[in-house]
Amino acid sequence: MHSNRLGWWLLAPTLLVLFLFGAVPFFYVVWLSFHQWNPFAVNPEIIYTGADNFRRLVFDSGFLASLGVTVAFVVFAVLTELIVGYLLATAFMKDFPGKAIFRTIHTLPLIMAPIIVGSIWKLMTTPSIGIIPHLLDEWIGYDLNIGQSALAAFTVTVIMDVWHWTPLVTLTLIAALVSLPADPFEQAQIDGAGKRQIFWHITLPMIAPAVVATVFIRLMDALRTVDEVLMLTGGGPGSATRYLGVHIFKEVFPKTNYGYGSAISVIVLYLTIVVCWLLYVGMLAPRTKK
Amino acid sequence: MADVKIDNVIKRYGAVQVMHGVSVDIEDGEFVVLVGPSGCGKSTLLRMLAGLEEISDGTVSIGGRVVNDVLPKERDIAMVFQSYALYPHKTVFDNIGFPLKMAQRSKDEIREKVEHAAGILDLTKYLKRFPKELSGGQRQRVAMGRAIVRDPQVFLFDEPLSNLDAKLRVTMRVEIKELHQRLGTTIVYVTHDQIEAMTMADKIVVMRDGRVEQIGSPLDLYDHPANVFVAGFIGSPSMNFLHGRIASEGEAQRFVSDSGLTLPVPAGRAADGQAVTYGIRPEDIAIGEGGVPVQVVVVEPTGSETQVFARSGKDLIDAIVKERLSARPGQEIGFVIDPAKVHLFDRDSEQHL
Ligand SMILES: Nc1ncnc2c1ncn2[C@@H]1O[C@H](COP(=O)(O)OP(=O)(O)O)[C@@H](O)[C@H]1O
Ligand SMILES: [Mg+2]
Repeated sequence: MHSNRLGWWLLAPTLLVLFLFGAVPFFYVVWLSFHQWNPFAVNPEIIYTGADNFRRLVFDSGFLASLGVTVAFVVFAVLTELIVGYLLATAFMKDFPGKAIFRTIHTLPLIMAPIIVGSIWKLMTTPSIGIIPHLLDEWIGYDLNIGQSALAAFTVTVIMDVWHWTPLVTLTLIAALVSLPADPFEQAQIDGAGKRQIFWHITLPMIAPAVVATVFIRLMDALRTVDEVLMLTGGGPGSATRYLGVHIFKEVFPKTNYGYGSAISVIVLYLTIVVCWLLYVGMLAPRTKK
Repeated sequence: MADVKIDNVIKRYGAVQVMHGVSVDIEDGEFVVLVGPSGCGKSTLLRMLAGLEEISDGTVSIGGRVVNDVLPKERDIAMVFQSYALYPHKTVFDNIGFPLKMAQRSKDEIREKVEHAAGILDLTKYLKRFPKELSGGQRQRVAMGRAIVRDPQVFLFDEPLSNLDAKLRVTMRVEIKELHQRLGTTIVYVTHDQIEAMTMADKIVVMRDGRVEQIGSPLDLYDHPANVFVAGFIGSPSMNFLHGRIASEGEAQRFVSDSGLTLPVPAGRAADGQAVTYGIRPEDIAIGEGGVPVQVVVVEPTGSETQVFARSGKDLIDAIVKERLSARPGQEIGFVIDPAKVHLFDRDSEQHL
């Protein structure tokens, strides 16, 4: 009993910090989402409005459009990151000259702050200044203008996210692949499996926990992308890249609409949890249940 | 079913050569055991048969076809690894059925064959479990099941029993032997345990340091070991070896050990004065009157037989006799040795004389 109490005392500072900076704001946001609060309005009171914010959300075409482009963004970005990350990871499993240097360089984007990534990409894609529009024009005569073309802006945000975050996927998948036992793969060759069958029947199921964890992390991050995109496109043109994070930002700060912003945050959190849960059930649960 | 020919096979890892020209002919339906101490290259040879290891030189043919460049999946072989190599994310059913699934058999056929194999191996109750929910013996049987649903040309076993406890090992030994008798498929079986080799094999290949020391039937190797290594490796407990010379004593030849012990030898095998290694199996020594006098060191009764360790000068000899013995340590007894049972080896070349 004594050592048990000591344990709680040792944990107390951490628990306190977690509570103050994790639990309190979380419940505050949840609480706020049931209220109307505009501190700069005529009536700056916090007024209880029940589920009004959520009811409004369902019919808010701005929110729905944002949700749509966010889903598209997340699906394209995370899928591409997974595929490219896996291909890079398998490449790094083999030996080739300059491997160590290449692997180091390839992880560099990871250590950059999103705001800087956004600035760099903005610089690189600004028409008539940036290198990318210049090269595209020179090579294939394509006029890249992310200020005007919605598709171009969307695509560049996806590519930027892929550039920034694929190394994370590569690193986790390398770790997963390195720790795989060799025997089942030899056994599968003997059992008559070809390369593709080995991938689907052996490799993928065996690295599935790592894949799911990586997808969780990327999904959560991608769903709340703000700074990079805000820097690069400001959510435009129109609302082509107004992803949920950007939407919340624009809803809350210029309009100081805190209650409504909180409601959107709660919905995003809820969506994230649901998607992760579905993924977990789909990919991992069958093997753990008896 | 197929015969297997291993012809002058060499294996190098980089600059290191670990296999130095191994040749073995395996007939169709034969049960061949590769035996030898750890690190002698048994697994490497088996993996070359399976196609998991590149063959540096020489040829391997299965069923008359040279398979050096044939992928494992096209060799039509089944293999059981020492680690069992089960698929951790698949149930027992899916583990056993995997080769059939890869061969694109119908669902019904897979179910029927898996259930049949599970019946033979006593796994019916466990088909829905995952490997981590099984005991060592059950995992071993799953690995066996995955091999036998295949009906392959050749079975390859790499020390499949060495992770089991002694009792289970004996049971599985019998079951594998039975399986072979029923299916009649060629089996290449690797073990470091000479008892497994003796009890299961039609033909034993004794290996050492990447070379074949001797090939023959179990009793052939027991009765006519080609050299000191084989003589010492085959048979349990292992053969007694004494170093010494051949000396003439009137008409008859005698062996005189370096420490002066005199023992009978078969006539005319070695020249007078030749330096030899003298070998006699413990079970070929009797205890009785008029034998070689030795001092008892330890007596170990096991019930069915008695093992006696005895000393003469510096030489330690052990004997196994059927009768029970009341001798005390230090007591002098006589070891009776039949010269016909004695093995003589050249001291330098270690070859049988
Ligand atoms: N991948 C490898 N690289 C280098 N040497 C190896 C490799 N695999 C095995 N060897 C060497 O080959 C020899 C035979 O090994 P192995 O066939 O596993 O022996 P056994 O199965 O008889 O115990 C050993 O000396 C071992 O060190
Ligand atoms: Mg081995």
